[in-house]
Amino acid sequence: MTDATHATGGVAVGQMRGREVRLEQASVTYPNGFTAVHPTDLRIEAGEFFSILGPSGCGKTTILRTVSGFQEPSTGRILIGGEDMAGIGPNGRPTALIFQNLALFPLMTVWENVAFGLEARGMRKAERRRRAEELLALVALTGQEDKKPTELSGGQRQRVAVARGLAVEPAVLLLDEPLSALDLKLRQHMRAELRSIQKKTGVTFIYITHDQGEALTMSDRIAVMNHGRVEQVGPGDEIYATPASAFVASFVGETNAIPGRLKAADGKRAWIETPLGAFTARNPHGVGEGREAMLFIRPEAMRFGDGENRIDARVTRRDLEGAFVNIFAEAGGRELSLHLTNTGDAGRNLDGPQSLTFDTGDALILPKGELARTGKELVEA
Amino acid sequence: MTALIGNIGQMQRSFGSALVSVFFLAVAGWAALLIVFPQLVMLDSSLTRPARQLDSAIAAQLAADAATCITILEQYQPSDAPASPASSGGLAIPSPSTTAPSAGLAIPSPSTTAPSSGGLAIPSPGSTAGSVGGRPYILQCDRTSTELQLVRDEAAGRVLLDVLYDLPKLGVDETAPIDDQIAQAREIGALAEELVVTLRAQEATAFRWSLTNYEVLTAARAIPMEPATLAADSASLENKLYSIVGLRYVEDGVVHKRLALITLARTIVFAIMATALALIICYPIAYNLALKSTKEKAVWLFLGLVIPYAIVELMRVYAWVSIIETNGLFNAVLDWIGVLSIAEGEAIPFKRYPLTVFLVIVYTYILFMAFPIVNVMSTLDRNQIEAARDLGASTWQVHWRVVIPHTKPGIAVGCISTFMLAAGAFSVPRIISRGLQGEWFSQTIYNKYFESGNSEVGAAYAFAFILLCFVIVAIFMRVMNARLKDFVRA
Repeated sequence: MTDATHATGGVAVGQMRGREVRLEQASVTYPNGFTAVHPTDLRIEAGEFFSILGPSGCGKTTILRTVSGFQEPSTGRILIGGEDMAGIGPNGRPTALIFQNLALFPLMTVWENVAFGLEARGMRKAERRRRAEELLALVALTGQEDKKPTELSGGQRQRVAVARGLAVEPAVLLLDEPLSALDLKLRQHMRAELRSIQKKTGVTFIYITHDQGEALTMSDRIAVMNHGRVEQVGPGDEIYATPASAFVASFVGETNAIPGRLKAADGKRAWIETPLGAFTARNPHGVGEGREAMLFIRPEAMRFGDGENRIDARVTRRDLEGAFVNIFAEAGGRELSLHLTNTGDAGRNLDGPQSLTFDTGDALILPKGELARTGKELVEA
Repeated sequence: MTALIGNIGQMQRSFGSALVSVFFLAVAGWAALLIVFPQLVMLDSSLTRPARQLDSAIAAQLAADAATCITILEQYQPSDAPASPASSGGLAIPSPSTTAPSAGLAIPSPSTTAPSSGGLAIPSPGSTAGSVGGRPYILQCDRTSTELQLVRDEAAGRVLLDVLYDLPKLGVDETAPIDDQIAQAREIGALAEELVVTLRAQEATAFRWSLTNYEVLTAARAIPMEPATLAADSASLENKLYSIVGLRYVEDGVVHKRLALITLARTIVFAIMATALALIICYPIAYNLALKSTKEKAVWLFLGLVIPYAIVELMRVYAWVSIIETNGLFNAVLDWIGVLSIAEGEAIPFKRYPLTVFLVIVYTYILFMAFPIVNVMSTLDRNQIEAARDLGASTWQVHWRVVIPHTKPGIAVGCISTFMLAAGAFSVPRIISRGLQGEWFSQTIYNKYFESGNSEVGAAYAFAFILLCFVIVAIFMRVMNARLKDFVRA
């Protein structure tokens, strides 16, 4: 598999230009009364790689459908490039959608798939074929023009779908979890390819995913959604380091969440009383004294040792993840997780009581709120 | 082929050799008994000259007539004559041992142009008809004559039994005394029986296959009509079309029509149109059912489609009869709202219109179009439709490029079933039209077999019909570019 970055597709790329997408108080309520998306304001910059991240059923796909035109918002407006999209169907919008199952046309050849949008626009066959070849070169599929989609591998089909979407020179490319069907290695490779295609074309990408890894690696900015509401919008680093809510903190990346009550707050820092002891941590949202709150510590911020914040625990399990070691420890009836860099013998021979610690700057106090469901909860749900 | 062998291997693993052998034997037996054998029998029958056209059959008929004549004459008492029922002229006694009805049947001989020539065992014109002298007219005695015309091509001209087989020219002389007449009949009967034996022996060794029956199918019949009627007849659109394709022509001021072929062509054209109409109706219904509706709505729609078909086909047709009758629902409603008056004979004669038969056929068989289309269409990923729309396709383009190509196997199966059912329809044209309009070809075949007792010609008609339908289906599949493999998907 050749990397798409090596492909030549200058002509195809040069003609594209991303546009800004804006949601103004857009909401979607279905006829059965279920509100999939509460009134939402969102501004996606032209040429941005923007991800909408959230658990299944959070309304992210509904937002995508309102932008693509398959779903009219119940209230509010959708603007693309400053133009109100009300009343314009999916075939009239400057968007292209890449479906989760790709929805390639199985009875058409690869090049006919790619050129379908051009055919719909009445372009002559020779011209269509030429454009399809350019786009297939862009996604490194030269030579596969006359195959049927079923004859291609998963990753190749993926790229056909991208080429098909780009063929109509959309201002906005909407991607609905298109990588979820691929296996891990391929998925990681395709992330890089999508990112590179986006950079090259300058088209605005709106990427829907429930996989925080995908969102963090590819996106310029991420919107985290839950229950039809956008909980936080920002660059990946910011979302990871300073989550705006308990949900975001627990959904993006792994974390140890400990409920407690604020004993004292002092500017950006606070002292929280928890069943595991009292700790000091950052308090960016200024949770007030005496309020119920949650303490979040990323596993990689925890280490063995003694310090300002000390937890007495007992190691119960050691999982080797490769680059790091995942240690599980039990304290006050709660399971805590630590990530240690794998230095060969990290975390070995640690049976029995141990003391854990973390730095004040690495721990975060957030208002009490709903947490993302853990894997165990998802299995039982 | 390799795939088939692979499948057999797989079946053996799943069901064991014994069960698989039984299965394949059953399939082979079924195919031989119900498909190959009947077709071969029909083909053989269609290539055989009707037995009663053979010279031996005519000689046998002569022997039978002579025997009957003797029986009647022997019982005849001149004093009873006035009281005898036979005195009213003609004879009501059927001749024994005859296979065909005694009255001359109008079996058209090939390339017959005038209705007068051809036919069966027509008494030679020389013999006198009618009651003269001592006894009333007896048909069988009249026919007891060696001067019988044999069934031959027109080109062969008039061929007489006595001339061809070198028999004395004998007949029963009505004016002779009864005993003499009996003796004459005996002589003729003996000669005829002798001839039957010789001819049967000859015919058994002769090559018996000919295309005569197929020539009957294509034969043109002269339709006598007044010049004024002829002009009107020629002006009708239907007849113009027949003239273009050679099914009708005017020769020496006489209209000729290839009647059997016209019925065949009419049936096929109607069946194709019924199929097309069913497709046009079913496609949007199927699309809504399979791809547009929610599950709950689809269940109701589907039920609505199926319930009418839970009724016996004949009942569905009879339901239409009660609607289109002279005193039926349509006319009653039109009468009631004052458009027409049934009492004054203004009722619309729906059963005389070919359109009625056509529409009832569409109604009767439309589900066979709907089912396969719905089934195949519902397997289409709705995302493909959305993808096409999203890429800018119009509604028409979505259907033409995405939905129809996917549904093609279902459309092909639906069209073939509907076409074959409509072309072979028997109950609908029979019950709806009741002989008040041109018949369906299946009726013609039925009539040949069971009404005119001419199963050899019937077989030729049926075989030609099967062949033509097969060719049409093959052309259709070719045009649709549908492969047998696709039907499995359906």
